[in-house]
Amino acid sequence: MSRLHELTLPLSEERVRDLRVGDMVTLTGAVTVSIGIPTHKRMAEAVRKGEALPVDLNGGAFFHLSTYVREQDGISVPLYLNPSTSTRYNAWMPDIVRGLGLRLVGGKGGLDDASVAALRECGCAYLSFLGGGLPLLSRALRGVRSSHWNEYISQFRLLTLDVAALGPCTVAIDAHGASIYDNLRERAQGRMPDILDRLRRARQAT
Amino acid sequence: MPISSATIRAVTASLYERSLKKIPDDTRAVLGKASERETDATARRTFTMMLESADSAARNGQLVCSDVGIPTYSVKIGTRVQFEGPVRQAMVDGLADMAANIDPPILKMVTHPLTHERSYAGKDIPIVSFDVIDDADYVDMVCAPKAMGTGRWEAVEAFVYPTVEDVEKYVLDVILRAGSQPCLPIVVGVGIGGTFDQATRLAKEAVLRPHGKPQPDPLLAGMEQRLLDAINQMGFGAMGTGGDCSAMAVNIDYSASHGFVPVAVCLNCWINRRTAARIHGDGRVEMLYE
Repeated sequence: MSRLHELTLPLSEERVRDLRVGDMVTLTGAVTVSIGIPTHKRMAEAVRKGEALPVDLNGGAFFHLSTYVREQDGISVPLYLNPSTSTRYNAWMPDIVRGLGLRLVGGKGGLDDASVAALRECGCAYLSFLGGGLPLLSRALRGVRSSHWNEYISQFRLLTLDVAALGPCTVAIDAHGASIYDNLRERAQGRMPDILDRLRRARQAT
Repeated sequence: MPISSATIRAVTASLYERSLKKIPDDTRAVLGKASERETDATARRTFTMMLESADSAARNGQLVCSDVGIPTYSVKIGTRVQFEGPVRQAMVDGLADMAANIDPPILKMVTHPLTHERSYAGKDIPIVSFDVIDDADYVDMVCAPKAMGTGRWEAVEAFVYPTVEDVEKYVLDVILRAGSQPCLPIVVGVGIGGTFDQATRLAKEAVLRPHGKPQPDPLLAGMEQRLLDAINQMGFGAMGTGGDCSAMAVNIDYSASHGFVPVAVCLNCWINRRTAARIHGDGRVEMLYE
């Protein structure tokens, strides 16, 4: 039975372990975002070298959400928010999850087995945001808390945003290693012989 | 009266912006019906959010998705049309106008394929295919911004004397490989035959076909229905988190071929970005669909 959780960041490991695949959540507090591959490489490298990031992500959330931030009268105003596909960051996510004390990661499309193992080990969950959900997700924006690595283009920066009731998004990989994506892929592969058999029969009937 | 570069420039900009801020009417209708039929609770809720998101964007002039993709256009020129000034450069200029003026501003998505440097413009951007329409005095332009969510999973493979079964199996393999990754439910375009470049062009044209437009070839119509049913039986569902509707349509076209038969599969995500305009010889601009 799917539950709706209204979460406030930062989160305890216990709270995240309570989330189950298929649950939905909204988020309030600080979330850090980036869709830059250079950003991910730099984060993973910092973890490997034992260097601190410019923002403390302990107990926090790091999402593959893209943003545009406009400078207005010296104030940074985030104009919108929308997810990107997470799997292209597979190579760096295990280090990022293990090294930074994260409780939530997310974007859309999921992460690979090595990342799922890191999530389970560390008590971190993956959230699926609505792709093409820019108008809905952007309603949660309250402001920019910090922006680092500003030499990158807007969506590649390490940006921490204040949000209120961001979502709802779906818990697609939970902190116990259950992954909607793995389940669905395995189920689809399992269904393929039957699907191909039906196709054959439908072809013969025409 | 010739068609001016200024008109081409303005239509290029307008089609792109419209495609980013409103999903096509036919797609809105298909998603609405899929939502009503959906049996999975999470997928039903996801559909509700999709429709709300699309409606909000259209109502308030917002972007639907932040990945505005790279600009692709299909331009078909009537053979009785005359131009006053450049066409290709007018399209480049139109995109620069759009990038400079659109509100909210868009992200830089045009990427150098080797250095990964990003911009709003680049070599061969926009990607344009040109064709002719015999004896027509108008130009048809279709704009379809192409983003990574689906672009990454498209595929082409060359077969030798394939059967219908071989082609259908290949299409399903491509969709299975894409799995939950593209923003489902998707539209699937399939191009069969011709040559390598022709098959991919056919797939692209097919994926942009308006919903419900009849497929007159019974062989292709049968394949389209069978493949649509098969893809939806896979169960990936809305946003790939499970459900009854993984695809909104499968559209297929073919060209006569040699013994080698390329098969290309093109995908569009649920927002199914495509706009089209007809520029008449007298300068009038008519929106064909949006």
